[in-house]
Amino acid sequence: MSKIIEAEGLTKVYKGKVKAVDHISFSVNEGEVFGFLGPNGAGKTTTIKMLNTLASITEGRASVAGYDVMRSPGDVRDSIGVVPQEFTADDELSGLENMVLMARLHHIRIGTAKSKSKDLMQLVDLSDAANRKVRTYSGGMRRRLQLVMGLLHEPKVLFLDEPTLGLDVQTRSKMWDYIKGLNRNRGLTVFMTTHYLEEADSLCDRVAIIDRGTIKVSGSPAQLKETVGGDIVTITLSDGTEDLTGFFETIEGVKEVTRTGSVYRIKLPKTEKSLPAIVEGLVRKQLQIKEISFTKPTLDQVFLEVTGKSMRDEGAPTTDSGWENIKMQRVSGN
Amino acid sequence: MISETLALTGRALRKWIRNPAAVLPGFFIALFYVALLGSSFNPTKVVPPGTPPQIANAILAQTFGGAPNYITYLTPGVICIILVFNMAFGGIDLVLDRQLGYLGTLLTAPIPRSAIYLSGVAQNLAKVLLLAVLTFLVALAIPNGLELPGTFNIIDFLGVFLGFTLLGLGLSFVFTALALAVRSIDSLVAIVNFLTLPMTFTSNTFFPLDVFPDWLKSVAEVNPITKANEAARLLVVNGTLSAAQTTTYAYDILYLVAFTAALGILGYLAARRALRPE
Repeated sequence: MSKIIEAEGLTKVYKGKVKAVDHISFSVNEGEVFGFLGPNGAGKTTTIKMLNTLASITEGRASVAGYDVMRSPGDVRDSIGVVPQEFTADDELSGLENMVLMARLHHIRIGTAKSKSKDLMQLVDLSDAANRKVRTYSGGMRRRLQLVMGLLHEPKVLFLDEPTLGLDVQTRSKMWDYIKGLNRNRGLTVFMTTHYLEEADSLCDRVAIIDRGTIKVSGSPAQLKETVGGDIVTITLSDGTEDLTGFFETIEGVKEVTRTGSVYRIKLPKTEKSLPAIVEGLVRKQLQIKEISFTKPTLDQVFLEVTGKSMRDEGAPTTDSGWENIKMQRVSGN
Repeated sequence: MISETLALTGRALRKWIRNPAAVLPGFFIALFYVALLGSSFNPTKVVPPGTPPQIANAILAQTFGGAPNYITYLTPGVICIILVFNMAFGGIDLVLDRQLGYLGTLLTAPIPRSAIYLSGVAQNLAKVLLLAVLTFLVALAIPNGLELPGTFNIIDFLGVFLGFTLLGLGLSFVFTALALAVRSIDSLVAIVNFLTLPMTFTSNTFFPLDVFPDWLKSVAEVNPITKANEAARLLVVNGTLSAAQTTTYAYDILYLVAFTAALGILGYLAARRALRPE
C-alpha cells in the first residue's frame, strides 16, 4: 500500500510562541480513512491547515499525493478536496450555483460543471434543494453540500475537518454513511479530524490520538482498544460487607479488580472464558448478584490511558453551541 | 487566471445585485448629495445685488469654472465621493469572506492567488462605477440639476468616466489589498474613516482650489481626486475643449494613469503578503 500522506517532525509555532503542533510524524495509506482524534485545541486543525497549504510549516516536512507541501503547494491543491469546519458555502447563492462556482475554480468546463454538480448533489440527497439559496439549508444540508463541493475535481485525498460538528445524532450517522460510501465505492482517501470518539471508531481504518500538539498513540481502533487490556465487567452484589477482591483475583484471566463498596470493576481480556467462572464462584459462595454488566473497551478509555484524562472531561463544546456560534457569525455578518 | 477571476467576480456581483439593501444606500447617498447639497448653495446669491450682469457672470465663471449652477460643478465631486466611500467599504465583503472561511476554501483551491486579489479589485470597481453612472443620471434627471453643454456627446461622457475609472481602479487596488490584510471589519472601518475624509476634503470636490488657503491648495493640487474632478468638469462644463483645456485634460489623465499604476504595484505586493500561508 502506498503512502499518500507523509509527515515527518511536523511542527507549527504561531507568532514564535504558541507551539500548536510539536514534531508529529505519521503517514496515511492510499484508500484508507484516517482519523485525527483529540480534544479542542489539540492541534488537529493546525495539522490539517499545514497539509492543505493554508498554514506554513515551522519545522519538519509533509507531502500529500507525492508532492511536498511547502515546495509544490499548487500541485497539492490540485490533488486535494477540503471540507472545512466552518460553513463556507455562500448563503446568497443556491446550492447548485455554489457547486458550479467551485467547479469553475477547479477548471472544469461550464457544461461538465453543471452535470457533475447535479450528480454529486444527488449522491447526498440534495437534488430537491439544488436551486434553493443556501441560507435556507439546515446544518446537515450545508455539511452535505460542502462535502460534495470538495469532490467536484475528483481529488485523491479528501480532508474533512470535524465533518459532523453541530449535527444531531441521526444526521451524523447519515453523514458517516456518505463518507463510508465515498471511501468504499470510489477508493477515496479520507483524512478527517474529530473530537467524537464514536465517530472515529465507526469510520476510521486507523486513528492517531493527538493531545497538546503531540501524537500519543496511533493504530486501528481495534488495536488501540486492545491495548486497554480487555473488557470491563461490573458486578454489583447485594451484600457489600465482605471484600472479595482477593477471590476475583484468583480466577483465571482476571487482570485488574477495583472495589467500591459492593461494586467491583474487573478487567478481563477474554470475557467469554472468565465470566462463567466468576459467576460460578459467586454462586458457590452463596452470594447474591444484584447486577452484572460489561462494556467493550472504547476509544475514550484509550484516550484516558494515554493522556491521563478523559476526553469527555476536556470540555468539548456541546454540539449545539458550536452550531449557534457559526450561525450567529453568519447572521451578524449579513 | 482570467477565468477564475471572472468566476469570482461574477459571484460577488450576483450577490450584490440580488441584494437591494446593498445597492440602495449608495444610490440614496448620491441622490442626497446631488439634490440636497447641490441645491443648498446658489452661487448667484453670492454676487452683491446690483452688480452688472457682465461682471456677475465673470465672477461666477471664475468661481466654478463656468458651471451654470452648483449642481453641475458638484456632480463630478459627488461621483468621486461615491467612488471613494463605496470602494473603501466594499472591502467589508472580503473581510467577511475571510471570517466565514470562504477565503480559506479559495486558498485551498488550485487558483492563482492573484485571481483572488484581481477579482476583489474588479468587483469593487464594477460596483462603484455602476453607482457613479447612476449618480450622473440622477443629477441629469433632477430639476435645475446637471446642465450639460449642447455639444456634449457620448465621447465626452466616456471622457468624463475615463478619469473616474482610473481613479476607481487605483483606489480599488489599495482598498482591496487592505481588506485582504485586515482581520476584522472594525479595523477596516477605522482605517477607511481615517483615510477617506481627509482624501475628500483635500480636493476640489466641494470648492474650487482658487478659494483654498495656499497650504491646502498645494496638498489638493497633487490629490488624484482633484485631477479626476478637473478632467470631468472640463468636459461637463465645456463639452468641446480648447487646445489649452485638452492639454490640461491629457495631463490629468496621465497623472491618474501613473497614480493607478503605482497603487497597482503596491496593492499587488500587499495582497500577495496578505494571502501567504498563516
